[in-house]
Amino acid sequence: MNTKNTANNANIAKEQIKVEVLPHAKDLKSVMLYYLIKGELYSKLPWKKTAWTCAGFPVEFLWAYDMFPLHPENMSTVAAARKQSLRLIEHTEAMGYSRDLCSYCKTSMGAFDTGIKTTLGGIAKPDLVTCTNTICDTHWKWFQIMAEKMNVPFYMFDIPKWVSGTSEKKLEEYIDYVVEQFHDFSAFMERNFGKKLNEKKMRKTLATSTELTNLWREIYEYRKAVPSPYSAAETSASFFPLVVLPGKKIGVKFYKKILGDIQMRVAETKGTLPEGKEQFRLLFEGIPFWYRMRFMFDLARYGAVVTYEPYTYSFSPVKPSADVPFEQALRAVAKIMMDLPYSYNLERRIDYFNNAVDEYKIDGVILHENMSCRPSSTGMIDLKNAIQKEKNIPVLILQCDMNDPRAFAEGPIMTRVESFIEMMRENKKKRG
Amino acid sequence: MNKIAFFDSSHDLPEEIISAAGYIPYKILGDVHASNEPADQYLQNFFCPAAKSFFTEALHKSGDWSGIVVAQGCNTTNRHFDVWKMHIKTPFLYWFNAPVKNDEIALGFMKKEIKAFIDALESFFKVKIGDDKIRESIRVANEIKKLLQKLSAMRSTKDIPNRDYLQAILVTLQQNRMDAVASLEQISREWSARPAFPSGKKKALLTGSDVSYPEWMDTLDKCDVRVVRDDLSIGERYFSGLIPESGDPIESLARYYLNIPRPATKPGLRGRIEFLKSILRTTPIDGIVSQNLKFCEPFAYDSVSVNNALKEDGHKLIHFEREFTPVTDQQIVTRLTAFTETL
Repeated sequence: MNTKNTANNANIAKEQIKVEVLPHAKDLKSVMLYYLIKGELYSKLPWKKTAWTCAGFPVEFLWAYDMFPLHPENMSTVAAARKQSLRLIEHTEAMGYSRDLCSYCKTSMGAFDTGIKTTLGGIAKPDLVTCTNTICDTHWKWFQIMAEKMNVPFYMFDIPKWVSGTSEKKLEEYIDYVVEQFHDFSAFMERNFGKKLNEKKMRKTLATSTELTNLWREIYEYRKAVPSPYSAAETSASFFPLVVLPGKKIGVKFYKKILGDIQMRVAETKGTLPEGKEQFRLLFEGIPFWYRMRFMFDLARYGAVVTYEPYTYSFSPVKPSADVPFEQALRAVAKIMMDLPYSYNLERRIDYFNNAVDEYKIDGVILHENMSCRPSSTGMIDLKNAIQKEKNIPVLILQCDMNDPRAFAEGPIMTRVESFIEMMRENKKKRG
Repeated sequence: MNKIAFFDSSHDLPEEIISAAGYIPYKILGDVHASNEPADQYLQNFFCPAAKSFFTEALHKSGDWSGIVVAQGCNTTNRHFDVWKMHIKTPFLYWFNAPVKNDEIALGFMKKEIKAFIDALESFFKVKIGDDKIRESIRVANEIKKLLQKLSAMRSTKDIPNRDYLQAILVTLQQNRMDAVASLEQISREWSARPAFPSGKKKALLTGSDVSYPEWMDTLDKCDVRVVRDDLSIGERYFSGLIPESGDPIESLARYYLNIPRPATKPGLRGRIEFLKSILRTTPIDGIVSQNLKFCEPFAYDSVSVNNALKEDGHKLIHFEREFTPVTDQQIVTRLTAFTETL
């Protein structure tokens, strides 16, 4: 952090506190390389097929069709982390797209149009574009535009919305609708690519995928420990296998190593911060600032650790067992698509957050009011009020953007963070 | 007759069911003259200002309504529903999950949604909504659509200010539909006696976000732009087709709503472009006005592809973003005036 820009508050620790990353954290690089290289290979070999897909899509389906899933969103985060997103966003805005539109979308459109390297966030033309509207309209708007532009078949899953107060009966109807689309998708794949769903492969993929998500959830159980053994400074990157490689053993191997590291830390009562330095345990809601991942590390200087993020946890739902009847597995997957914590309706979101505050012993909550993600930002004011009222802890809403660095003003943001730290300090004093 | 209000970001709610239940379907349109400060307590400053205005209206007027229905359209509808549920006092708040797609699977789902909606109204309001009542409601809706088609067609030949056209539609969306028929018949008689299309005006196709207040239409007139065709939901999408009057009325409604020209809130970009091109083939147009309400994402996404496709065909087109305000934006006036001069 640029200390010149931070507020000069006497109570704020000035010393640098280093986040101790897990010994096997570095192994993520090879997982990512595996994904990038394999993606490049599938894109170049004429007999292999690739598909663009989005968060919330059951990627296991694509593996079952031997289609390699390319993730424009994921590549947008790579572009941001490599400090490329601003120029790509501006490139897309120069094509006529509004500044108010999603920065993932604009980064990706810019990346495709400029043809930048994969390692900088570039992405190859796919054989298929498929997505859902479960998280946002942007997914299908963006994908539809690109499918049209690239002249590639497009399939969208229409996922009904689980709004507050939805009855069980309604949910069952919604699931019926999604399952019908799975069958329609099969017909679409056969029509367009002559590919049939390989049920055996699907089951195998689901089994590995289940192993992966189970490991992630186990990791999150250990995150409840005090001091926190693993923070968002690391999970914000290490959750990528859940998004891009569910169903692949390489992700399972990585998570097993990470889990081992965490178990050892917990056994030794060690945390991600040096001994005695963890003062505040935070919950961070929303997509991180990918162009400024330092933010998560910078919190350490205040003795603050992001102990839990619903966003990264969102990608580890309990998946159906591989041995249930296939139709039952489809219904379970359909329900998962409607049931992402990131997209919970307001009533469920409030309950979910209040539980998380208790389970993870949270001292304060940061809500990223993401200008690129209006669906996620909706209800955030009510969420803030509910947590403050019911849990009596400070909640900070930070208006920013996940991929557009123009929205991040370090001085004002860190000033607000420092005030928030003070509020937590006072609150902890009062609560003894 | 009591009103059941509805929040519909395009034209997705089968309002005929509300009429068949004996209630006035009242489309919530907000009030551009009223401050959105009440909504600001719960909704961020980078959200659709029209949706915030709808919320403000509901905060103030929900006591006058027997209930509220929110139909799935853009993301604003489903995400704001939860906020409405928390803050709007109403005895009946209902989510109508209109499908986003329009294939046969979506049709089956839409029929289920309509049946569930009927069940909910019957159960809560203790009414019986039989097929005969739905058919009568469809008949009246078609009367309205035919009258609006007639009025719309007059825009190319008569002196119909943009404001008058919009108001004819607005009045339809908020009153008893039988009364609306009478109002539109009166307007039709009056418009028939109007002078011919004024020579100084340019004929335009209006596309983009819905326009819900006449002041903005006045701005176009001030710049000598006369809208003679459009593809808005508070516009031609509302009456471009008729609801089949024979057969199962629920099937008819489902087919109608899924097959009217697609807005930006639904997949079918190519279809939208083709619909606009068909308008341009059948109606002499001098230029196209494409506008986007600030923070209206679906139309902002579409505008680049749609506008490029129309420009490639040689049509003159202007695109701009507008605020939700009755005040004339002089920057837009300047650009529109310059555009008009090129036509």
